[in-house]
Amino acid sequence: MAILKMKRLRLMLVRSRKEELLRELAKLGCVEFAEIEGELQESGLGDQVRRESSALTALRSKQMTLEHAVELLNQYAPAKSPLLSAKPEYSNEALLDSTGIETELAKAAEVAGLDERVRRISAEENRLRGTIESLKPWRDLDLPLEQDGTERTAVLMGTVSARIPLDQVKAAVEAASDEAELFPISEDKTAHYVLILAMRDAVPAVQECLRGFGFTASALSGLKGTPTACIAAAEESLEKLAAEKEETRAQIVDRAVYRDDLKLAADQVCAQVGLAEAEERLCGTDSVVMLEGWCPAENEAELARLFDRYDCAWETRDPTEEEYPEVPVKLKNNAVTNALNMVTNMYSLPAYNGVDPNPLMAPFFILFYGLMMADMGYGLLMIAAALVAMKKIKPREGTLSFCQLLLYAGISTFICGALTGGFFGDLPYQLVHMFHPESTWKGLPYLFNPLAEGGAQPVLYGAMVLGIIQLNTGMVVNFLKKKRRGDLAGAIFEEGSLWVILLGGILYLLPTLGILKIPAKIGLAVLIVGGLMLLFGAGRNAKGFGKVTAAIGCVYSTLTGWFGDVLSYSRIMALMLAGSVVGQVFNSIAAMPSAKGVTVPSFLIFLLIFLIGHALNFGLNLLGCFVHDLRLQCLEYFGKFYEDGGRPFDPLRLRTKYARTKES
Amino acid sequence: MDFTSIFNGYALGLLGAGLAAALACSGSGLGTGYAGQAGAGLVSEDPSKFGKAMILQVIPGTQGLYGFVIWFLAFNKLVPGMSIAEGWQIFGACLPIGIGGLVSGAAQGKVAASSMNILAKKPDDWSKGMILCITVEFYAILSLLASFMMLNGITIG
Repeated sequence: MAILKMKRLRLMLVRSRKEELLRELAKLGCVEFAEIEGELQESGLGDQVRRESSALTALRSKQMTLEHAVELLNQYAPAKSPLLSAKPEYSNEALLDSTGIETELAKAAEVAGLDERVRRISAEENRLRGTIESLKPWRDLDLPLEQDGTERTAVLMGTVSARIPLDQVKAAVEAASDEAELFPISEDKTAHYVLILAMRDAVPAVQECLRGFGFTASALSGLKGTPTACIAAAEESLEKLAAEKEETRAQIVDRAVYRDDLKLAADQVCAQVGLAEAEERLCGTDSVVMLEGWCPAENEAELARLFDRYDCAWETRDPTEEEYPEVPVKLKNNAVTNALNMVTNMYSLPAYNGVDPNPLMAPFFILFYGLMMADMGYGLLMIAAALVAMKKIKPREGTLSFCQLLLYAGISTFICGALTGGFFGDLPYQLVHMFHPESTWKGLPYLFNPLAEGGAQPVLYGAMVLGIIQLNTGMVVNFLKKKRRGDLAGAIFEEGSLWVILLGGILYLLPTLGILKIPAKIGLAVLIVGGLMLLFGAGRNAKGFGKVTAAIGCVYSTLTGWFGDVLSYSRIMALMLAGSVVGQVFNSIAAMPSAKGVTVPSFLIFLLIFLIGHALNFGLNLLGCFVHDLRLQCLEYFGKFYEDGGRPFDPLRLRTKYARTKES
Repeated sequence: MDFTSIFNGYALGLLGAGLAAALACSGSGLGTGYAGQAGAGLVSEDPSKFGKAMILQVIPGTQGLYGFVIWFLAFNKLVPGMSIAEGWQIFGACLPIGIGGLVSGAAQGKVAASSMNILAKKPDDWSKGMILCITVEFYAILSLLASFMMLNGITIG
């Protein structure tokens, strides 16, 4: 349960065994490769050593082709798999095997080609539909469209805005040229569709006149035959295209059997990509290859055996202090703290020389979640969902920590639900009163409940006390961290003075509230001492007048910061309240039809409203509590001690998208 | 008809309770509306982000819920024939979540809508957008607590 110690690894081996070693390292998955080129340049070896090259680009494009083909198959023929199912498992050897990739690439190209055909057909269909649309207004015209006139007469076709009276246009056209004549063909909401006959030499005059009315010539060029014939022809082609498209689609669907092979091939290429990426970080001469990287100290023995088998020359050393920002961070967790990995990863990993936040956060996160949700029914649902998911999808890494978190939060929710007497809101109470209206039962017993008479204040104060406890835990951690680094004075003046103030506050409040019989002046004195310590601590490193501003600034920000932080924990109560009230409201609405005695329909309505209402409330609360809990941890708690900025440990390993490796 | 038959404590209480729900729900409506618009745009580009976009969209939905909680608690306290003074008390207690919910819901919606950008451009960091939204949420929570503590302190009759 800590941040794993890392070692810097340096290794040389003969070129002929490079690929074998890389494969073995990928199987072990515990070495991260570092860039070494710069170092070599500095050491003056730059001209003899060059960076290794690999077929990375080609491999990446292969990977995309395969993944694209899988996506296409999923799109045309969605896989019918059970809702929760584990990914297929393959052995390391199967994933590192690259012999079948080329055949699968051919299959992928086949699928992509068919999809391309479907898309071409769709484009053609759209074009034809457009043509039909544009021809519809001309349907009554029995003139072949390629006919643009005779030797002496010209045919003009086009539209005039519907707002202009057609008679006006007609009169104007006839005035422009004696022989010209306008025939209305059809009209719709926006335009009149008109055909104009005119002598060829009068066309410019007619066009000039038409321009004044906003005449737009229709673009129907390239079509032959009357509009009706054209429409019929286009419709016929559409039918043919539709049939062809259907057939092509069916061909793609037939290829759905390729899916599993394609997925495996995609993962195999993915493994190759990983190896190639690692390879590009190596440097080498004609006969020797060099590798530098990071590995967890705990894997060193295992690596040593491997390196000896490949006759490598190698060494490891501890990272120096200057190297800390570059050292990758890996957290080692047990079954409980692993659940919190999800939260830490979502926020940011700790710095290499920082503190692993998971064990420090786990009890608070789980407790707060339970308090916010606080319902036995919801808790049971969460536990069930987590257990089912763990059994069915056999999750690993991120998904596993999510499931674990759900499980622990569910248990905590159940316990807190028992303490506040919540079971799907006030379901037991409603049910008892539905069937026995004369019952005097008051509902499940509870220890604390914000809705009970006088129950609000204790819960609110309790939430803030929990906040003070959590914030102080953070400060203790920070105190110890500062002490370890030799900054004892800083620890005493920053954390220590706040504790003195807190102690003073308690000593002052207890007698004021009449709980403890000691003079309140003692508390006041302690408070003042703490304040002075804080003031002195803040001004300690500043000079001259800066001391005063630094001190005032520090006191102001410390006190408002603390006040805000503690108040922030009131959300624990607010979410507890909101969740239970909304649940109760749905229960009472659901029970309304049964107010005059329970009948079968009224009970069915009860069930329906109950299910919908609680599904909604459960979903919203599940998310809301998580986000608010997250915020309390990441903002209030982490703010007191956490140093982030760690770079996640990213070793060479077999990465997969569709499958997963068999656990050895 | 005399004045007290139309202007009585019960009516005032109803008005307050109604406003708590109506204003806070309007705030949530606006908020989820803004976020939903932005989310729909994102989903049109990348339907696989629907789940996360929906999560961001429902975050400004809590104000309505808080308003509803106060409505329920206030409504349970109302009794026909209560005095005008008591009606005003209920009315006053309902105001924080009404106004706070309206304004913070709309504001949170804007943050959620902008967070859709994070989801679109830096999908790995989308949870940070969630945290930004929650900063606004705190003020809705304070409004809820203010209303709740006031309501809790009122005894009718």
